[in-house]
Amino acid sequence: MTQKTVKVANRLGMHARPSAMFVSHASKFKSEIFLEKDGLKVNGKSIMGVMMLAAEMGSELIIYADGEDEKDAAATLADLISSGFGDLKNL
Amino acid sequence: MPELLVEKFYKDRKDYFDLTLLNSEAGLKKKITTAEIHRPGLALAGFMDRFANHRIQVLGETEMAYVNQIEHTVLLHMAEKIFGYGIPLMIISKGITPPLDFLQIADKHGTAIFSSRLSTSELTNRLSGYLDVNFAPVITMHGTLVDVYGVGLLYTGKSGIGKSEIALDLVERGHRLVADDVIKVIRKSPDLIVGTGSELLGHHMEIRGIGIIDVEKLFGIRAIRIQKRIEVEVHLTLWSEDLEYERLGIEETETTILGVSIPQVIVPISPGKNITVISEVIAMDHMLKVYGENSAAEFSKRLSERLHRQAMTKDYLESDYE
Repeated sequence: MTQKTVKVANRLGMHARPSAMFVSHASKFKSEIFLEKDGLKVNGKSIMGVMMLAAEMGSELIIYADGEDEKDAAATLADLISSGFGDLKNL
Repeated sequence: MPELLVEKFYKDRKDYFDLTLLNSEAGLKKKITTAEIHRPGLALAGFMDRFANHRIQVLGETEMAYVNQIEHTVLLHMAEKIFGYGIPLMIISKGITPPLDFLQIADKHGTAIFSSRLSTSELTNRLSGYLDVNFAPVITMHGTLVDVYGVGLLYTGKSGIGKSEIALDLVERGHRLVADDVIKVIRKSPDLIVGTGSELLGHHMEIRGIGIIDVEKLFGIRAIRIQKRIEVEVHLTLWSEDLEYERLGIEETETTILGVSIPQVIVPISPGKNITVISEVIAMDHMLKVYGENSAAEFSKRLSERLHRQAMTKDYLESDYE
């Protein structure tokens, strides 16, 4: 199990598009992915779960990855969030 | 550990408990940390061993009759002691108000004292009900909860295995969706768990290939339910040649959620398999078991009886030379 804490960097927080982007990246990994905010933990491969967290800018998220590619998964997903979702930066 | 702000308790249920705050609002900042209630009769009389100071203190007519008749200096000393223990709040039933000094000492220790017009037994009954719900153990699970013929089926399994699609199919057949994806499970009593969805998600679900849909808007109010007791877990797995699946169903597999055991059915998924009908059968079979019928056990008994009878007849026929 690999665990990483990140802060949401994009201005509008994890709204629909960033959530979808996160889920599609998460789904590429074999590991099980979970995302936690304020004690609420959801499946990182489920768009509804991720959106339910309603993570606003600056809020802290914990990424959990468990499986053969957990290190790579946690690092990639943490990067995605902390970089403000690359091209979606201004969304 | 769960906790409840006295302020929230007061604001949410002021009318329900018929409460009036008797002293300053400073006491509203305290926190309630347990669902239990204490009647501090012995503590008032000076016996402080085992005083349950972390609980809500409820005083009734008898306790107040005692408080009102003791000597002033004794009263001050006793109040100092009780509030000095840092109790979360105190409620006095039947609309009785305590002596002014009592209130002032409570103020000094930042403890709120409420008066309730309810009788002591009514007040403690309502309090336990309210506190039990607030302090009930809760977890969130990944899955889908559907009410099938009144039986709460909780679908679990890996993301993308088709839980939402099964729920959609069931809704189409007249069953009711409770929640998809994120299920909040509450243990309402030692052997009962109830599932509900999140406020934000409502009865929305994601169907791969379509996107997000609103089940309530599409299928109407009959297709949804706010909460439902979880009775059976249906665990979906991909069909695998190497895995053994239940063939008889005489032994029941169980799973534990929040310490509550419920039957678990593991259903392998493969193309062309109608999980919706299987789901309905799981629900009906569960109901039969609740009513005392166990199809698998009955059949096994019938088979054993037949074998026994055949053996008897064979013996007779073999020894018959007629």
